[in-house]
Amino acid sequence: MMRFILADLRRLWAGATVVVLLVALATALGVTVTLQERALRLGSARAADKFDLVIGAAGSETQLVLSSVFLQPAPLPLMSGDVLAKLSKDPRVAWAAPVGFGDSFAGYPLVGTTRSLISSTVSGFAEGGMFGKEGEAVIGAAVKLPVGGEVKPMHGSAATGGETHAGVAYRITGRLQPTGTPWDRAILVPIQAVWHVHGLGHEHGEEEEHDGEAAPAITRAAATTDEHGHSLFEAVREQDHEHDHGHVHEAAAAAGQGEHGEGEENPDHHGIDPDAPIVEDFATDGPGLPAVLVKPKTIADAYKLRQEYRNGNTLAVFPGEVLTNLYGTLGDAKLVLGAVAAGSQGLVAAALVLVTVTHIAQRRRQIGALRAFGAPRSSVFAIVWLELFLLIALGVGLGFLIGLFAAQMIGSVFTDQSGIVLPVGFTDEDLKSAMLLLATSAVLAAIPAVLAYRQPPAAALRA
Amino acid sequence: MLSLRIEDLAKSFPGLSGPVLEIASLTITPGSRVAVTGGSGSGKSTFVNLITGLERATSGKLVWNGDDISRVSEAARDRWRARHVGLVMQDFHLFPGLSAFENILLPARLARVADAVTIGRARELLATVGLLRPDQRIETMSRGEMQRVAIARALLRKPGVIVADEPTASLDAEAGEAVGRLLLDLAEQAGTTLIVVSHDQRLINRLDRRLTFQAGRIVSDSVSDEVAA
Repeated sequence: MMRFILADLRRLWAGATVVVLLVALATALGVTVTLQERALRLGSARAADKFDLVIGAAGSETQLVLSSVFLQPAPLPLMSGDVLAKLSKDPRVAWAAPVGFGDSFAGYPLVGTTRSLISSTVSGFAEGGMFGKEGEAVIGAAVKLPVGGEVKPMHGSAATGGETHAGVAYRITGRLQPTGTPWDRAILVPIQAVWHVHGLGHEHGEEEEHDGEAAPAITRAAATTDEHGHSLFEAVREQDHEHDHGHVHEAAAAAGQGEHGEGEENPDHHGIDPDAPIVEDFATDGPGLPAVLVKPKTIADAYKLRQEYRNGNTLAVFPGEVLTNLYGTLGDAKLVLGAVAAGSQGLVAAALVLVTVTHIAQRRRQIGALRAFGAPRSSVFAIVWLELFLLIALGVGLGFLIGLFAAQMIGSVFTDQSGIVLPVGFTDEDLKSAMLLLATSAVLAAIPAVLAYRQPPAAALRA
Repeated sequence: MLSLRIEDLAKSFPGLSGPVLEIASLTITPGSRVAVTGGSGSGKSTFVNLITGLERATSGKLVWNGDDISRVSEAARDRWRARHVGLVMQDFHLFPGLSAFENILLPARLARVADAVTIGRARELLATVGLLRPDQRIETMSRGEMQRVAIARALLRKPGVIVADEPTASLDAEAGEAVGRLLLDLAEQAGTTLIVVSHDQRLINRLDRRLTFQAGRIVSDSVSDEVAA
């Protein structure tokens, strides 16, 4: 019987190919939607995984998460610097790290942050090491810049017509290992450098030594810092020197000198002092901040902190919770796409029934002859059913492969653009839907088979 | 070897005023060789369909060796036909894409009766009908060769009756002659009852008995001169 079916399919290879392709494409559409949606959900959840609690100024919860976790460029309202100071001192907090955004270089977002955030969220360095000075930067795994290269930040992004911060340049000291999050596409610089670039929180002492011109631009917030910060700053600097790795330090220092010179040529702009040591003690009130990432010590602490910082001025969110709300919306979109995919599958199914019923009519003679020469009715049914089912099953199988491939392609484009690694893959759920599809096609294939079964052989022979 | 007895057989179709076939009484003895002739629309095809169980009679009896096939279900008629009737058709009804050998075996395989003995017999039959390349694709054969394959297929399950519907009509004179002779020889060797619908005078002349149909009735039932002589 298989030989007969194969001979038949060989004879009708063009039609059979079209049927397989139709089924494959319709299946692939549904599979891609499912895989992509799931991958997006998992990928974004993983991206948010490292960030337990995000605190920002009162505003949109979603925007806060999108900007801090997914580094989506958007202006965030600033909250007062004393929030970070308070968090740093809070015994329930394992660490609290400020993040500052807004600048970019070569399409990569610049994120001002701290070493403690980097070392506690990334497994390590693929190349080089941590920044140790204000004029140094660490790049994410997906940033296509060389370690040792130079980063000249631009305000905003090139797409929005941002201006280059004249005289500011960071030297890349290390490349992080991939995390599968948007932070892989980020250039991480010391938060204090970001403040300085934007004329916030300049340390008074350093200004006098290296960059006196920038001093008048110090903001009110920075001035406040000055009053309390000096002695602390000194102490931290001593510590930093001891902890720094020798070679990184030297290299950074050498590069830093050059950049410094440039800075002085543009006295109108705020600059950084590339050689300045990094201060990451935020016990004192600092400049305004768009967001603080907080690692609470326990889950209970997390809830307490969230409660406490949900007041008129600040907003505290669990990124996971915000994402869940987003998935609600995403779920609706998936429903629509799923309906479109199901609709196309239905259309293909209808087209298939039409094609096969016509095909059966054309094969009346053959079917009639089979029975006239002694093939039982059940064989005729089985032949027609198997023939169509084989084609559909082949199409479904092919469709799953195409769908997987398409989802992976989309995923890799998405990863290039956003840094979020999308885990595209099949699960038990897909096995179930494949079974459902096959069961449906088994029923579908039975329609022409029944027609063939009921066809009287004499009438078929006469036609 | 089967005998046929027909009593008050009638076949009518809805929408037609009279029956397309009406036979009051007909007996065909086992092993006899009968020619069926008549113009188109005379009821020959209906006769073939009824006696092979492809169609069911509207009324009357159609008894092959005691089995009245006008009484039984379609599936039972299919089974009976597969077991007892070897069909040879004008258009061969062979299946392209399969070899001669596979074509001979196909109905038996589909009915799940193709055992080693049957397969061996298929090979013998191919040689008997004079085909030397059992694996030749059917669509590459001449029409005469195709009809030989069809005859081998009809004989595979040792049928009690061979029913041939215009077996030589689509062949040229030479091939028709060869096929006609083959059909007669093989039927004789197997002692099978043979019923041949034909216009081919040479073929008709070789058969023992001639039934002539006209307007759904048998108008003449004659014993062939050669045989009678």
